[in-house]
Amino acid sequence: MNSVTYPVISAKGLSKRYGKQIAVDDISFDIPPGRIVGLIGPNGSGKTTTLKAVLGLIPFEGQLSVLGLDPRTQRNALMEQVCFIADVAILPRWLRVSDAIDFVAGIHPKFNRAKAERYIARTKLQPSMKVKAMSKGMVVQLHLALVMAIDVKLLVLDEPTLGLDILYRKQFYQNLLEDYFDENKTIVITTHQVEEVEHILSDLMFIRDGKIVLAATMDEVGERYVEVMIEPGHVAAATQLGPIDQRTVFGKSVMLFDGVAREHLAALGETRNPSIADLFVATMKGSYA
Amino acid sequence: MKTMKWLLRREFWEHKGAFFWAPLAVSAILSLLIATLLGFGGAANNINASYNAHDAQGATVSIAAHLGDEQKAQLADIMSRSYMFVSAPIFLTLSFIVFFYCLGALYDERRDRSILFWKSLPISDSMTVMSKLAMAAFVVPLITIIMATATSLLVLLMFCITLTFKGVNMFAPLFTTPTVYLTPLHIVSLLPVYVLWALPTMGWLMMVSSWARSKAFLWAVGVPLLSVMMLYWVARMFHLQWDIAWYAKNVIARILLGVLPGVWFPFTGVERGQLVAPDQISIGMSAISTQSWATLSNPELWIGVAAGAAMIYVAIRMRRWREE
Repeated sequence: MNSVTYPVISAKGLSKRYGKQIAVDDISFDIPPGRIVGLIGPNGSGKTTTLKAVLGLIPFEGQLSVLGLDPRTQRNALMEQVCFIADVAILPRWLRVSDAIDFVAGIHPKFNRAKAERYIARTKLQPSMKVKAMSKGMVVQLHLALVMAIDVKLLVLDEPTLGLDILYRKQFYQNLLEDYFDENKTIVITTHQVEEVEHILSDLMFIRDGKIVLAATMDEVGERYVEVMIEPGHVAAATQLGPIDQRTVFGKSVMLFDGVAREHLAALGETRNPSIADLFVATMKGSYA
Repeated sequence: MKTMKWLLRREFWEHKGAFFWAPLAVSAILSLLIATLLGFGGAANNINASYNAHDAQGATVSIAAHLGDEQKAQLADIMSRSYMFVSAPIFLTLSFIVFFYCLGALYDERRDRSILFWKSLPISDSMTVMSKLAMAAFVVPLITIIMATATSLLVLLMFCITLTFKGVNMFAPLFTTPTVYLTPLHIVSLLPVYVLWALPTMGWLMMVSSWARSKAFLWAVGVPLLSVMMLYWVARMFHLQWDIAWYAKNVIARILLGVLPGVWFPFTGVERGQLVAPDQISIGMSAISTQSWATLSNPELWIGVAAGAAMIYVAIRMRRWREE
């Protein structure tokens, strides 16, 4: 590993207001290259706004450097190195599969036509097919085929699988991991379907009310958080250790601990690593209250 | 340059119906209509007569067979100069197409959110807006001119064939007249004049298109018309001597009607009579061409061009921060 790595995204005091509403509140973070970062938060927490700032789609306050460029003033140069899928089904309805490939091949210097065609050949997409005749899942397949064939340093995916069935969703992430990702690329994903991305993520960022409440690598998360199914006799002792969340399963208390030694907890009951979804729910408690 | 080529192609894919099929349909309907009229025969005399309306011989051309060579040459001359007028409906279609294309150019991509896809590619806002402007100002008018020329020639041929049945052979005198071939070139040569006069309208529509969050048509057309009504009303109420007619003609008409081909004649007060060259007896393309280019000496034109360019610039700047 190269010891000197410049962050792909570096934010310092990044803020964005819509009128009086603060969407992103003075956040700072660094994302090094070769990571797959999950930016996870409830609706309206500011994750899409953060990504829009990164992609130079909106003005913002504070410092933000993406691949060494300022997205506000150097967007045109930036877009040669960055690609994004902002949402499902935003491809224009009149676009044909063959035209889409021709177009991107014509304008993008880093597009690999053969790769896109190879990917399309594995789907049910036909070259003469128009977007308006496709199902939502097929539109995403086309979009992914175009994006995966572009060799950029940063790929941003904002709810890329929203509204797709489970087959398309699984396939989407599998393709991304197998055919696209390598150590020179960085992927930032936002999604609500946490459980589907947690196996591919290398880093996790929880965002709530415009602030980052957790930023860690998946390894760190695994060390820090432990879920324990408490033996009936140890509930009082366990509660004293300050669990961050607590629920009851089959009459037994299941508690989530942050930063308590695993050996210590093992004495209280069966320990295991919590799922990201459980961690998310525990962290975001009261978000909509 | 390569990117521009693909952007133009992209626009053509999206608007094939408006840019290609619509003028083709109008051309086809027009040709069919005239063919039917000629087929019934009766019309031939009338149209023939109208070509001769200013002729010393008067309208008595039903004795067509008696036309002498000199009269034939005169008829050929008039026909060759004016045969493109039959394509007026195609040019009228052009103005509608350009109008609504400009109005939707930067609005539709936000409405269907495909702007996020276009913005995910390395294409600058200025490149995008300029490609749409180039489409409206050059590509669409050129397609229209080609179709109008083909239709006009087809109609001319149909006339000649009809006349043949009446014993008048116009093929030789007509198609040896160089004017027949020069007339379409005259029209192409008017394209720069058209673009300059249309620029305020194109600029206005594209600016509204880039700005409006909904109801682009209402903003683009309703607000200017409303402004005329309001100014008129205020002037009436307070007995002000505002020249509302001047405002309507020099501002509102310029930003709404500029895409009509030939609109520069009413704008600059060129009379119908001035379109007839002194040595000729009816309106011809060469006189129209000369008079059209002469309108370039009007300062109003250049003020409009500057305003149009400024509005295009605003449209580009606004698209920069538009996401949906």
